Amino acid sequence: MIEILNTGPLNTIQDIGRPGYRDIGVTASGAMDPMALKIANLLVGNDEGAAAIEVQTFPFRLRFSGATAFAVTGGGRAALDGVSLPPWWSQTAGAGQVLELLPSPASARAYIAFAGGLDVPLVLGSRSTSLRGAFGGIDGRSLTNEDILQLGEPARTVFAADGLGVVPPATALSALFPVAADGTLLVRALPAGEHDLFGADAERFWSQSWKISAQSDRTGYRLSGEPVRPTAPVEMRSYGIVPGVVQVPPGGEPIVQMSDANTAGGYPKIAGVLEADLWRLGQARVGSRLRFVRSSHAEARTLDRAIAAYVDDISNTSQMVARALKTMAGR
Amino acid sequence: MSRVNFGDPAVIASLAAALEAAGVDGIEIEQDARKVRIVIERGILGAVPQVDASQHSSAATHAISVAAPTAGLFCSAHPASVAPPLELPREVVPGEMLGFIRVGPILLPVKASGTGILMRSLAGDGSLVGYGEPLFEIEPCP
Amino acid sequence: MTQPMPHSTNAIPKHSRNTPAPQRQPQISTIGARAFLLEAPGDFDLPAQRRIWALAQALRQWDDLGEIVPGMTNLLAIFKTTPEDPDAVTARLREAWERAESIDIRGKTIEIGVIYGGEHATDLAALCDHTGLTDREIVRLHHEGTYTVFALGSAPGFGYLHGLDPRIHMPRKTVPSLKMARGCVTIGGMQTGVAVLTGPNGWNSIGFADHQMFDPKAAVPAIMAPGDTVRFLPERIEL
Repeated sequence: MIEILNTGPLNTIQDIGRPGYRDIGVTASGAMDPMALKIANLLVGNDEGAAAIEVQTFPFRLRFSGATAFAVTGGGRAALDGVSLPPWWSQTAGAGQVLELLPSPASARAYIAFAGGLDVPLVLGSRSTSLRGAFGGIDGRSLTNEDILQLGEPARTVFAADGLGVVPPATALSALFPVAADGTLLVRALPAGEHDLFGADAERFWSQSWKISAQSDRTGYRLSGEPVRPTAPVEMRSYGIVPGVVQVPPGGEPIVQMSDANTAGGYPKIAGVLEADLWRLGQARVGSRLRFVRSSHAEARTLDRAIAAYVDDISNTSQMVARALKTMAGR
Repeated sequence: MSRVNFGDPAVIASLAAALEAAGVDGIEIEQDARKVRIVIERGILGAVPQVDASQHSSAATHAISVAAPTAGLFCSAHPASVAPPLELPREVVPGEMLGFIRVGPILLPVKASGTGILMRSLAGDGSLVGYGEPLFEIEPCP
Repeated sequence: MTQPMPHSTNAIPKHSRNTPAPQRQPQISTIGARAFLLEAPGDFDLPAQRRIWALAQALRQWDDLGEIVPGMTNLLAIFKTTPEDPDAVTARLREAWERAESIDIRGKTIEIGVIYGGEHATDLAALCDHTGLTDREIVRLHHEGTYTVFALGSAPGFGYLHGLDPRIHMPRKTVPSLKMARGCVTIGGMQTGVAVLTGPNGWNSIGFADHQMFDPKAAVPAIMAPGDTVRFLPERIEL
């Protein structure tokens, strides 16, 4: 059992999401950084898509009521009873211990997974909180102080006694996920349906760096910069959308739809972010800058494979190391 | 850490798996008067690690040594850390993280075993170390 | 082969729009690397939507698709993994479209009681200005219509309704209402619908309906389904 001691607004329970219901208007939701969620779960022996806490406002504090293996991945600086933990780390907490997360400069969102996963009811196949729909998680709402969260039955009982972590993806996969010299996030994307209707402005969409405005959340990021507009007004028929779609409302400043986006939209779309780069966008902070880089399906497949290999490697090696440590400890 | 029986095939198998995951070909491990060498023969399906154990004498020291928790690559700092490494010698407390052992994408902590002055780092950053290999020397506080 | 002549029973000229001239081939574009959007050629009408329904049915047999999202005379096909050859996907979708024959979904009829005008009809005056009609005329044209649920989307259980009289078409607002109430009866372009969530909304509100459209815990969570017929019954008119 977990007790929330201190939370800011908009911290929620998320799993890998509820795809499959877009045709009745239900947003997939799910972790903004699905890779961090999967790794946190793998480190505590859960299925990679189990429910965890997504922390996006800090400080965040919780107390363990009993011995519990947990993992913290993504952003945030974690400390257990005041002792700092390395980033992307798993450990076993004792009864009464307090885990605290403070913000980290590089990444926006932290994931806390627990052995057994958070045990909240499945709604339409997922435990993810849908704030707009007001269902999932705990009654469709954000976490609040004094919330008590129950855990499922752990699948694994043996964990590295001194803790165990991973080399974070930004380091392990740095060659494939570059950042510009000035810190601008480079986000790979493909032109979308109305790209060419923007005429000369389309090139300015790719060449300029956009700032993630303060009006950005799990629904979408509003970008600020030099506006881009189609050469003539476009009236669209509503169409299905996915996270990563870059739409341009009449004002000319793009919106990138994220995990809690509507399932359909009507604004012209200029680009679509590669699925393999969405986790980085999910970690981009308000006020930071990004630039869109034209990509290809071939590059998308290379990135997909690299992510899958990295996650598989963590899954296999973490289990193997835990077994080896157990063997050695038992002698 | 309790004693490890290098005569036990299960132990050798776990170590061999760890070595394979770390992408190394072999390792020598010293434990008091014994030495174990494990060689991974690649390209052979279900290769059995070759092991030899022999008597070996080691010099006794007064310092507490901090041993590697598993075989792998020694990292003096977290791979994602941008902070400069801490100067030696310096005071440490039990449980303090002194470095990491990297096995593929996995990191295991190397923790101070006692209170004292961390005098020396014995393994080079990025070098391959064996299970139980001394990595640091701590002079106990008087 | 003879092309069927487009027929039109209404004498009101269409607003000119920035869309290419009608063409027989669907347009296929991508959103990211895994989602492909097919847009039917031609008018925004029931025959086009019936063919989209047929396409959706055919695509449900494709093992490599994770999700199919029919929109308004368009369809988003989301693949489980990034396809190796996007041109081959485009060709497959085109072929499926060519083979897709119209299907007629015989849906249920849903009657929704509406309070026209009143505090929730925040855009009725703007609609009068835009159309040159009186509020009473707008309300009459809206409730006399028979609407078909083309697709669900945007918010849980929200049905995009086709069949709005062209005289009361009105573009979405450039500045959305920040907190439009759940239940507002709205017009967005050529479409109408009932807001299912309270929140930002770019459509134009002309009334209010207290009708539960979605229950996530129900066996069938959404009240509306594509092909259903919707009628609005004026419970009260507050002008």
